[in-house]
Amino acid sequence: MSNSPAKRPRPLSPNVQIYRPQLTSVLSILNRVTGIFLSVYAVVLVIWLVAAATGPRAYAAVEVAITSWIGQIVLFGVTFAFFLHFCGGIRHLVWDTVHGFELRSIYISGWAVVAASVALTAAVWVVRLSMAE
Amino acid sequence: MIIESSNQVPRATLLKRFPIPRNFGVTPESRIVRGKAWPAPAAAVRVNDPDSRENPRLDTFEVDLDECGPMVLDALFWIKNKVDSTLTFRRSCREGICGSCSMNIDGTNWLACTRFISDLANPATIYPLANMQIIKDLVPDLTHLFAQYAAIEPWLKSKTREPPTERPQSSVERSKIDGYYECILCFCCTSGCPSHWWNGDRFLGPAVLLQAWRWLADSRDEGTGERLDNLEDPFRLYRCHTILNCTRTCPKGLNPGKAIAEIKKMLIERRS
Repeated sequence: MSNSPAKRPRPLSPNVQIYRPQLTSVLSILNRVTGIFLSVYAVVLVIWLVAAATGPRAYAAVEVAITSWIGQIVLFGVTFAFFLHFCGGIRHLVWDTVHGFELRSIYISGWAVVAASVALTAAVWVVRLSMAE
Repeated sequence: MIIESSNQVPRATLLKRFPIPRNFGVTPESRIVRGKAWPAPAAAVRVNDPDSRENPRLDTFEVDLDECGPMVLDALFWIKNKVDSTLTFRRSCREGICGSCSMNIDGTNWLACTRFISDLANPATIYPLANMQIIKDLVPDLTHLFAQYAAIEPWLKSKTREPPTERPQSSVERSKIDGYYECILCFCCTSGCPSHWWNGDRFLGPAVLLQAWRWLADSRDEGTGERLDNLEDPFRLYRCHTILNCTRTCPKGLNPGKAIAEIKKMLIERRS
């Protein structure tokens, strides 16, 4: 195609490259990302369960990975992702009933999801750390 | 932190854009290059995209705010009159009712004539409406958006005979279209919808779906069944994942997210 003005394709204005991240779009993409992350984690969970079912030697191998500090950090991330996705999911279910669509409600519910996820993750991990040893 | 209405300017400065490369996923002809810094009398930065072989560029202008009106549109006119007369943008009413001057100001879509300069960052960034084919500078090509609007058949459909006087409608029935008939078709919402960015060729977008709901909610319209049949499609309606950038950015304070949820609810209700 010749490069004359009539035939050249029109440039596209930037979209995600310049659009401001707002609570609306950030929570939405986080919901999707945590969902993917949790789906991948489901495989890890199955590996853990199969190892537990196989026997003590297999389980010991998996246990080393889980109790290592990297494993603990990943587990912390997984709990946070889980609660974020869970609370976000409840927010979506409420939206399906056509409630909570005013901008004020959207923002309150959005921050509530973040706060609830942080609080629940903290609660679970406080309990878990206090049960250690 | 709690946003009550869409005309509240985003304040949080933690993230001005998603942390991705500036030219991520951009076709070669759309890549933005460094532009000219026009000599002072400066505060606004914007994309310039001339009808030449060059890539669009981001020029920097300094605007003397003492000589200029309070709105972003006034600043654009000041630049056009005093600095660069080739700066091209759409405008008409200068009061936020025609929808011509919609553009991306400091990262969010809004009308230039209703955005105060004092609400902007310094330097401010002005881009054309996101994810649109650009004709020149800040002028997007809205052809396919209006084609999507025509596709929902935005007119009264009636099978019964036309009454001799008006089609009666109670005030309660009339209030059902409040918040939907006021749309000025500026397309700030559609241009800010990430789902429309990725599937804009088939997803109708919030502006068009808001108008679809306006006709579904109108008690005088008798084509409800056909309209719903038209919308029941994985792409035309159901690409909406309730991201809600649309409601956040509407310069008229309308709620496309809610309208789309109402359409989805109506579709479910008619199944039962």
